[in-house]
Amino acid sequence: MNFDLTDEQQVVTDLAGQLFTDLATPERVKAVTDADGFDADLWSALADAGLLALCLPEESGGSGMGMVELALVAQQQGRHVAPVPFVSHVLAARTVAEELSAVPAAAAAVQGAIAGDMILTAAIAEVGVNDPLNPTVTATATPDGVRLSGEKPAVVALDRAGKILVPAVQDGSTVIALVDPAAEGVTVTPLSTTNHEPQGHLELESVLVADDLVIRDPEALDRLWLRHLAALAAVQLGVGEGAVTQAAQHVSERKQFGRTLSSFQAVSQRAADGWIVNEALWSTVINAAWQLDNDGAGALEDVLSAAYWACEGTSEVVLGAQHLHAGIGADVDYPVHRQFLWGMQNSTILGTASSHLARLGKHLAAGSDVGSVDR
Amino acid sequence: MDIGDTPEEAAFRAEARAWLLEHATPAGDHGENHDLADHVEKALAWQRVLHDNGWAGISWPEAFGGRGMRPIFQAIFNEEMATVDETLGPLTVALGMVAPTLMRHGSPEQQQHIGAMLRGEQLWCQLFSEPNAGSDLAVLSTRAELDGDEWVVNGQKVWTSLGQFAQWGILLARTDPDVPKHQGITYFLVDMASPGIEVRPLVQMTGTAHFNETFLTDVRIPKENVVGEVGDGWSVARTTLTSERSSIAGGKTGWNVDLLIEAAHIKGVADDPVVRQGLARAHTQATNLRTLGYRIRSALSMGTTPGREMLIMKLAYARHWMETTDLAMQILGAEGMLAADDEGLRAIWPFAFLNQYAVRLGGGTDEVQQNIMAELGLGLPREPSADRGVPWKDLPR
Ligand SMILES: Cc1cc2nc3c(=O)[nH]c(=O)nc-3n(C[C@H](O)[C@H](O)[C@H](O)COP(=O)(O)OP(=O)(O)OC[C@H]3O[C@@H](n4cnc5c(N)ncnc54)[C@H](O)[C@@H]3O)c2cc1C
Repeated sequence: MNFDLTDEQQVVTDLAGQLFTDLATPERVKAVTDADGFDADLWSALADAGLLALCLPEESGGSGMGMVELALVAQQQGRHVAPVPFVSHVLAARTVAEELSAVPAAAAAVQGAIAGDMILTAAIAEVGVNDPLNPTVTATATPDGVRLSGEKPAVVALDRAGKILVPAVQDGSTVIALVDPAAEGVTVTPLSTTNHEPQGHLELESVLVADDLVIRDPEALDRLWLRHLAALAAVQLGVGEGAVTQAAQHVSERKQFGRTLSSFQAVSQRAADGWIVNEALWSTVINAAWQLDNDGAGALEDVLSAAYWACEGTSEVVLGAQHLHAGIGADVDYPVHRQFLWGMQNSTILGTASSHLARLGKHLAAGSDVGSVDR
Repeated sequence: MDIGDTPEEAAFRAEARAWLLEHATPAGDHGENHDLADHVEKALAWQRVLHDNGWAGISWPEAFGGRGMRPIFQAIFNEEMATVDETLGPLTVALGMVAPTLMRHGSPEQQQHIGAMLRGEQLWCQLFSEPNAGSDLAVLSTRAELDGDEWVVNGQKVWTSLGQFAQWGILLARTDPDVPKHQGITYFLVDMASPGIEVRPLVQMTGTAHFNETFLTDVRIPKENVVGEVGDGWSVARTTLTSERSSIAGGKTGWNVDLLIEAAHIKGVADDPVVRQGLARAHTQATNLRTLGYRIRSALSMGTTPGREMLIMKLAYARHWMETTDLAMQILGAEGMLAADDEGLRAIWPFAFLNQYAVRLGGGTDEVQQNIMAELGLGLPREPSADRGVPWKDLPR
């Protein structure tokens, strides 16, 4: 057993760290967030550095790496709360490359995704109880292809997406359709989110999708969902680390009662609590990503553990960091609130701490075969 | 012991309820008012309605225009008012902090303001905190120097809630730098329209500019506006701060758990055992807060100051706020972090969820309250401090 990064993983981490440090400065992040919430310069830099192709298969022009490498980059993104739809894009591209690369239209989308010219996204969150594994969109077979109807809330980068992966149910089985937002019957409504990440509400009214752009592998949605949870947990890890770093720096500099705040144990211990959660999250994220790379769907328990820490743990971490900044952190000209908003938002988007626990608990209590995803 | 209302209290409660039913906006519109100016205006208007109908200053002495009833009656009225869609939140500084301070320390002229507050004519703000004086408020460095019959004030205040709308402010400034920090402070009433006051709104992450930076440059304040003695501002301020804590804690009965239950039904998770446990926990916390509130009120009725209960109440309230809004997010899921919604659910919870950090800071942070509790409640020794007895001007910066 060896937790050290390989040389290749270290290179990826350093490269991503450098890019986000240089390009996603607090000033730049503020400017982009105040504008349209998408950093186009950073996006092309990520594409140029090959990071958008990171975990895509080599046959499709990707680097053939896996979830561990993706997690390492996502962690760096989180540290800098960099406003780009990295996770949803890369994971959607990977799914399209793995499942549909024989179809020219899909292969073209993957090439566009690698170059950063076409943004891909996946509509995973669900209306109602938000159970991504039980899609509410319906797919109906017709002579021309499949027709989709239904709605999806909170789709990341929907306003810019060139293609959208939409999970649906056809005759009782789960499918994922590659939808063109320009198709007839698609309505996109922009949503304002608390962390200012561009998201949209997607409505589909009898939208036609060619048969060969529908993924029918019954496990494809499980994979897509598990990967999203793990990658989002990695973003949360970075978000929490950024929060604790800023808090530690602030309380080491600010003085009250003639001493630095960090000399009050109530303060230093709160910061230490955050650090401990981050450590726990690091272990569970790396474990989940590694299990996904090596055992695929068998990683359910590992991924849910990471997802739980990323919801419950990181929201405590960012709340603690915000608290330690007190009044000064409440002003949006001061950067720490972005970690707070990201941490809070990401802790609800793909299910909440309690829904992850409920699923994990049900799975454990049922004594299901380790790993199998139960609905 | 009898925790229930006395017949007199019950009659008062029934009368208040009937009146509110007729005159107040009914609850049900769960929307949070994000237009701050409008929110302030509505609070002032509601205070005027209360005043014109004899429901203002229920427990204030008759000499100040109140009804002179025991505090429990004000508490009962607040409790009933919590069930309708009206708030006096923006008037907390005026009604909850300045009025009690002036009743105790103000000159007869200064006490004239109390009537104006009662009639809903004045909004007040609190100019205490400074960039370098937050938890350690007494180290504040805004200077006031006497020039003839006027004090000339220079300095900067920060986090001044609603300062952009207020007509009057309470201000702490240093008038004697040669004595230890608590001793050289003077308490002023300041007309916010005075030349030299510049209020710059600070936007918070909820998207509103609830508080401000306030710059004071050669602001002239008449001598008559000093509250209490020159140099004795700290003891006046303690009255204000104690009243602030009680008004943050008092009158609150916790989040309405029924709203959460309703949300759980709408989202189809009312039979989820995790959600049900959360609802049950929120209910137990609300019960704790309510009974704690009764203890405070009954102490007030007996004429004692319920100091410890107030401290516990503020902390328990902050925790309840955190856990309850957290549960709301568990119930609402991804949709909980969006801004607006036709079911009316999202309008209130995301704002409250994000604002949980503020509840634990305003009026003294959790840790500062816990320090006070350790001293007052448990009799533990004070934290060692290096600055006791040291003249303010010699303090290390
Ligand atoms: C929403 C809001 C509204 C406000 N409105 C007003 C207003 O209208 N007027 C006004 O004058 N002020 C106002 N304030 C300011 C408020 O009173 C201060 O923010 C508060 O007293 C804390 O001061 P600070 O922000 O400087 O934090 P700091 O004192 O810098 O504290 C930073 C952190 O250190 C901790 N800490 C500090 N000292 C100790 C200690 N001795 N032991 C343990 N931990 C410690 C704190 O708990 C906190 O977590 C408002 C603040 C907020 C958030």
